This record gives sequence, C-alpha cells and structure tokens, in this order.
Amino acid sequence: MFNVDQCIGCQSCISACKNENQTPTGVNWRRVSQITEDVFLSLSCNHCDSPECFRVCPEKAYTKQRDGIVIINPNRCNGCMDCVAACPFGAPQFDYEQHKASKCTMCYTRLQNNLQPSCVEACPTDALKIVDFNQDLPVSVELTVAGFPDIVLTRPSTRFIPPQPRRRYRLNCLN
Amino acid sequence: MNTTYEVFRNVCPRNCYNSCAMLSYVRDGKLYKVAGDPQHGFTRGKLCSKGYAYLKYVYSPNRLRFPLRQYPRGSGKWEKISWNEALEQIAEKILELNKRYGSNLSLTYNNGSGNIGLLHQYASAAFFNSLGQHTKPVGNFCLAAGQDAFTYDFGQTLNPDPEQMGYAKLILLWGANPACTAIQQMKYINAARKAGAKLVVIDPLFTSTAAKADLYIQIRPGTDGLLALGLAKKLIENEDYDREFVENHIYGFEAFSRYLNNSDFSPSRLSTVTGITEEAFYELSQLLKEYKPCSSWIGYGFQRHSNSGQSIRAINALMALTGNIGKSGAGAYYLHLGQEAFPLKLANHNSSVQNRLVNINDFASSILSLQDPPVKFIWISGRNPLSQDQGLTAWRELLNQLELIVTVDLFMTKTAEHSDLVLPAASHFEEYDLNISYWHYWLALNEKALPAYYEAKSDLEIFRLLTRKLNKLSAGFSDFPAELSAEDWLASEITTQIKVSYGINSWQDLKNGPKKLQMEIPWSSCKFRTASGKFEIYSKLARKNNLPALPKYHPPQSSKHPFQVLSPQKNEFIHSQTKWLPRIIHDQASLVLINTNDAQTHNLRDDESVILYNDNGSLSKKVQITDSVPPGVLVVFQGGQEPINSLINESFCDMGKLKNHYNGNAFYDLFVSLKKGGDSAEAAWFFV
Ligand code: SF4
Ligand code: SF4
Ligand code: SF4
Repeated sequence: MFNVDQCIGCQSCISACKNENQTPTGVNWRRVSQITEDVFLSLSCNHCDSPECFRVCPEKAYTKQRDGIVIINPNRCNGCMDCVAACPFGAPQFDYEQHKASKCTMCYTRLQNNLQPSCVEACPTDALKIVDFNQDLPVSVELTVAGFPDIVLTRPSTRFIPPQPRRRYRLNCLN
Repeated sequence: MNTTYEVFRNVCPRNCYNSCAMLSYVRDGKLYKVAGDPQHGFTRGKLCSKGYAYLKYVYSPNRLRFPLRQYPRGSGKWEKISWNEALEQIAEKILELNKRYGSNLSLTYNNGSGNIGLLHQYASAAFFNSLGQHTKPVGNFCLAAGQDAFTYDFGQTLNPDPEQMGYAKLILLWGANPACTAIQQMKYINAARKAGAKLVVIDPLFTSTAAKADLYIQIRPGTDGLLALGLAKKLIENEDYDREFVENHIYGFEAFSRYLNNSDFSPSRLSTVTGITEEAFYELSQLLKEYKPCSSWIGYGFQRHSNSGQSIRAINALMALTGNIGKSGAGAYYLHLGQEAFPLKLANHNSSVQNRLVNINDFASSILSLQDPPVKFIWISGRNPLSQDQGLTAWRELLNQLELIVTVDLFMTKTAEHSDLVLPAASHFEEYDLNISYWHYWLALNEKALPAYYEAKSDLEIFRLLTRKLNKLSAGFSDFPAELSAEDWLASEITTQIKVSYGINSWQDLKNGPKKLQMEIPWSSCKFRTASGKFEIYSKLARKNNLPALPKYHPPQSSKHPFQVLSPQKNEFIHSQTKWLPRIIHDQASLVLINTNDAQTHNLRDDESVILYNDNGSLSKKVQITDSVPPGVLVVFQGGQEPINSLINESFCDMGKLKNHYNGNAFYDLFVSLKKGGDSAEAAWFFV
C-alpha cells in the first residue's frame, strides 16, 4: 500500500532497494516520480492479479506465486523486451549489459525471514507498507490515484491513500 | 567461499541533522550492503537515499587511491607518488618556511564539515597546534548567528529533544525543511500530526515539507522576524500569553511590550513587508493561542541573512511569552551542542597557543591581508572551498600566493584540482570514530569495518605520519602525540562524566549499540543561564555588544539587482558532497529555479540558458520554471561546475562574534540580475 499523502519524495526507497538487490546503474526496480508540485508516486511492480508481463512472455519466465508475488526467472529471460513493453507501469527494467529484464521481487527472501521489503523498511514516513487485504485496509484506501496508469487491464495489487487537502497561502503581491 | 557477513557499526559522518547509525555487512574485507541500525533510538533503523548508496561511494571509480602530485598546479598533469614522497615534500616545505620566516605563521589550514566525527573534525586543529604559533581559522560557517541569539536569550544553546517533538500540538517550521534535510525527524512530526497536531511551514520556498504541512505560509526572504514580532504583539494585546511564565521567568517583558506598542507592527505593514495576507496572519495567531504545546524549529538557512540573529531572537521571544519553553512537545529547536560535554582532546591539544586568527567566513581575503609573514602553505581537508566559499575571487588570488597547497579528500574536487598535492582520505568505514549529533541526543561509535582502500588514510593517521616525518628531519618540531592510535583517542574522550551521562563504562560498550544522553527536558527547571537567571527578552549582554537589547526587526538587505538567490540543500546533496553518487542523482546544480510570472516577464522557457550576474561575476544556468519559488526569488543548488557561491559578496550576519569569534555568513543575501543566453563555455570560472 502506498500513502500518497505521506510520501515526501525522498527516494530512500529507491536507494534502499538498490543497496539490497545491487541492481546495476539504470536498473531501478523502484522509481519515484513527481506528479505535481506536491505529489510523488513511489512505484515498483504491482504484483498484479492479471499480470500482463506473465501473459506476454514467450519464454514463460514469469510466475505468479500463490502468495500473489510475481517473479521473473532470469535464466529463462531471452531479452525480447515484450514484458517491458506490455507492463503499463514500467515495472520490468531492462539491463542492456546483461540483455535481460528484471524487476521487483517484493524482497520475498526477506519476507520469508520476517523482514520487511527493503523499501518499506527504509521509508521514513511509513508511506510504503505491506498490508493484508483481508485484514488491515484503512477505510480511505483507493484502487488508484491521479498519475497512476490505467488499472483495468492488469488489476494491480497496490492500494493508495490519496493526498488530503491542505491550506496554503502564497505571497500576496508581486512587488 | 565465506557466506556469512561480519556486521559492524558505523555512523554516517555527513554534516547532517540525522547522524544515522548504520550497520555494514562485510565479507572478506568487502562491503556488501549497509542498513540502518535499529538500536539507534532516533534514527530507528533507517537511512536516507545517500546513506543507502554508500556502497557506490566507497567503491566509486572516481575515488582517489594514491597520493598524487600535480605539476604545474592546475595543469591536470598528475603523477602518482608514494606516501613517503608526499610527506617528505610537505615536511620539507614546512621546515623551509619556518626557517625563512622564523615562525610557523606562514602555515594555515582549512577544515570543513566533510566528516563530522570527532577524530576527523579536529585532527588538523590538533596537528597545527602541535607546531606552535600558526595562522588559524576560527568562526563558524553556518551556525554562528543562531548560537549568539540563543545565548542572549537563554544563556546557552540547548536543543529540546527532537523525539519530544512527537508530543507537540503545534509545530512551526521556520525555514526548516526536514523532508529534505532531516528525514528522520519526519517520524516524530508525523506522530504528532497523527495525534492531532498541526504542522505549519513558514518558508519562502514551497519545499517538500511545505507540501505536507497543514498550513503553508509563503514569506519574503529575511522578513520572518517581523512576522514573529507581529504575532507577539497580537498575542500580548489580546492577553493570550502565558502570564505565569512571563511573570516568573522572563526578563524585560515590559520593555518588549513597549517596543511593540511604539513601533508599527500592524497587520497591514506586516502584509506589505512579509507578503503574508492578513488572513494567514490571523490563522497563525489563532493556532498559537489554541494549540499547545508548540515546538518551533529554526532552520539553518534561516540564518543566512544580515538580520537573522534578530529574527531568531524574535522567534525565541514568541516561544517564551506563550510559555512554550521547558515542556515536553514545546521549545525552540535549533542546534544541540552535544560535543561540548566531551573533552575534545584533539580540538584542545595545545589550545593555549597564541595563534594568528583569521575569520573562516572571510578566509581568503583575511589571509591575503596578512603580511609578516604572508601565508604560503595551506592544508585543506573535509572541505571544498573553491565550490563552497564566498569570495571566490579572493580565493583565486590566494592560490597564486601559496607555495604549497595540500588537499585531503576522497575525490578530485574542484579544490583538489587546484592543489599541488592531493592525499587520498579514508571513508568512515575504514577508520574508528565517535559521533555526536548536533540535533539528537545519541552517541554512536563508528567502527573500523573495512581495510584501507588502496592507500587511503584517515586524517588522524596522516598527521601521525607527518609528525614522525617532521620530527625525524627536525627533532621536536611537532608535539603531536603520534604514538596515540584512534582507539587511544577514543578512550580519552570517555571521561567519568561521559560514562555517567551516557550509561557506559568504556567506548567499547558502544559496540553493542548507540546510547542516549540521560537528561531531563531542557529548561524544564526554568533556570536559565543568563545574568538574570531568566529568559532574557531584554539582554544587557547584547547591548554591551553593540546590539539592540530587545529583538528588533531590521529590514533585510536589498539590492539594485532584482532577484534574490537562495541556495538550499537538496535531499540528494549535502553542500557539494555526494555528487559522486551517479545512480539516482542528476546534476541539479546546473539549474536555476524561477517563478512562472518572472519567467513570463523575462520571456523564458524551460531548459533555456540564462546568465546570472552581479558585480562579482556571472555564470550560466538552465531555467526550470516552478511555482515552488516565489516571484523575485531564484533557487540555485550548491556545488556543480559553476558554483553559485562564486557570485556571493562577502556579506555577514548581525551575530556570531560572541560564541564563534566572528559573525556568520549571510549566504542568502545574494542578489543577481538575469539575462537570456550563455552556456557553460561562457562561465565565470576562469581558472587556468
Ligand atoms: S506491474 Fe507490470 S511487471 Fe508487475 S505484475 Fe503488473 S504487469 Fe507484471
Ligand atoms: S522512501 Fe517513502 S517517503 Fe521517501 S520517496 Fe520512497 S515512498 Fe516516498
Ligand atoms: S546523510 Fe544524513 S540522513 Fe543520510 S544516512 Fe547520512 S546522516 Fe543519515
């Protein structure tokens, strides 16, 4: 779950992901984009219910695990970039040196050891969280927010808390 | 192959509010990853984006590996030399200068905030003191004005515990931007908000913290003092102040009320000067009345104006008369001087030597003015003055006068490029250190986690070697205790008092995790350290030092140039540091941020090149149009190929002398004009 209202765009999540997974330069499983002056979206793979990546991959490199996590097997990937083109969210990242796609694994090995994914652990505002859909979803949660690509096709597993209105006074005159 | 990691405790030594404790995972002498140290009660197992990218820093292909010599200076012709050769050249120069002038006054150093661990920060002070009389920089780049203001009001700079900010009901951030510069503090701010607190950001810039504020108030740079005094006046008029606190603990309340009554602090004047609407002013005064306790936090950028000391005193006064001092969730946050409780053996080595003092804030010009003997030798460490100092024209002249420039750094910085010798510095993973935050109350040990990176050495180690070399050539020349190792120095910092206040028996205890200072809420006893024992709105000491006794509003500087330039920190940078981290960082220092209206008036488009100029020179930047910047203000980030500080006039704050010898730097009183055109080829940077 991603709390848009809390995210400060600090990019700790990106850096922590790279520190953990040692992805090469240019391969950023998690990315933070600035939607408006004050709204940031931190996104990686949404581990969708109907993953397009999985559907299009000719080598069947993708699997959707029983826990919902979508995984790519690098040994099977032939570098055709079909998944890169198919995913509406830009999640699969292409490593031009290795000629292979890779993406967020939801740090499943960490999850197995009862650790949070590294982006979640790093986030200083708790904007990123893992939540159990059957239990602790807050009421204000939304399926999508402004700036997030269309969810109809793949039905992402990411949930959002939208930004709340705030009071702002800009300078009153220009001289 | 070995598959388990050894885990070491390290501390990020960047000049940063957070001083995060980190765990480093090492296998076969190689760093595999870093993590936050969950045992650190303030940072609680998190780092920032720079912190998590440390692997790239330690193993950056740009990192310096060996001592280098450049001849001729500035030519870019570098030659790898041995430590022995480097030290010999340095020692011979020092001895020759000593012979020529009959003293060491022609030697100086310039040490910055590149690594704020105790053993790094003060190593050069100790070494140069060991030579006896020399030319010594004193002063404080960034924290001078505020320390004086706090001293006049409270008698001492004492930070409330930042963890207590979580209990505030109202948080006022005056030019502080924790979402960028103190991300660990966001936890406590968010906790307070969750419990119903209001977050108010008062800042000329719409920062990423402002974006999260319940109330954002944009203000003209340098006018916060007027706002604070206006609020004080309104609260006093409506009798919405804390009577008990005022009667018992404030000195000079009547004089202050009189001053407020007799000067124009009307909402309409406030609005004209600060740019804040009467509605916003009213809303803020209501919050101050209704929401208690209130924490105020004065950001460091706030001080970089000519009137900043007064403005800080005005905010302190506002906190005092609302009774927001000495209580959980209340207080005026600014700076924690935790180091002062330590003996600081390095900083104080031979500290009785009568040195020739120069103002670090005016370093190059001050040195140039010295004769008899002139300064001929400089040792630069943990600093990149050719990017960061003001008065860069003077620096250029100074470089020509110097016979030997030695720079110690991890990277080939702008300053290193203009040095004769560059010595490779160790990263904090490669040496012991002890870190005390200037914000929170935690003490943490930095362990030696990695073997030396090629031939890189810590500052301390370099001075040990240099001392041996000097004393070999001229017995007894330096009394730097070269026999003491980093561990010995650590041990000497842990006095009985430190053991008690941090609940440890030795520095080795910190291997088990960081420790927090045991303390009561600062000023909860209301025993202030001023002459009157009260919070002094009226300060006789200030008057004695030729300052107004009361916090007064002085208009900020103005200029014939229409734009004021602010150069705040970015999340990805600290000063000019970390530009070496390539993966997530773009060169933001090449941009100038400009308001939409101003861009229209000047007919500018995004990405267009413009020239910023004033009497000190000119440089070119790329336009980025944004409403996060108010009209009349430009934002340029620090560092880069054409550092913005090259346009800064030497201009000073109103305070600083009391605690730091000299007044602080008014970096933000920088005014420029702007015209279309230019590219980096036309840069003002004319070193050859
Ligand atoms: S976000 Fe993209 S890569 Fe991830 S599961 Fe959905 S479609 Fe596949
Ligand atoms: S770490 Fe958290 S707050 Fe920072 S950018 Fe990522 S999601 Fe946003
Ligand atoms: S730069 Fe600051 S926030 Fe980042 S890891 Fe270092 S101390 Fe922590």
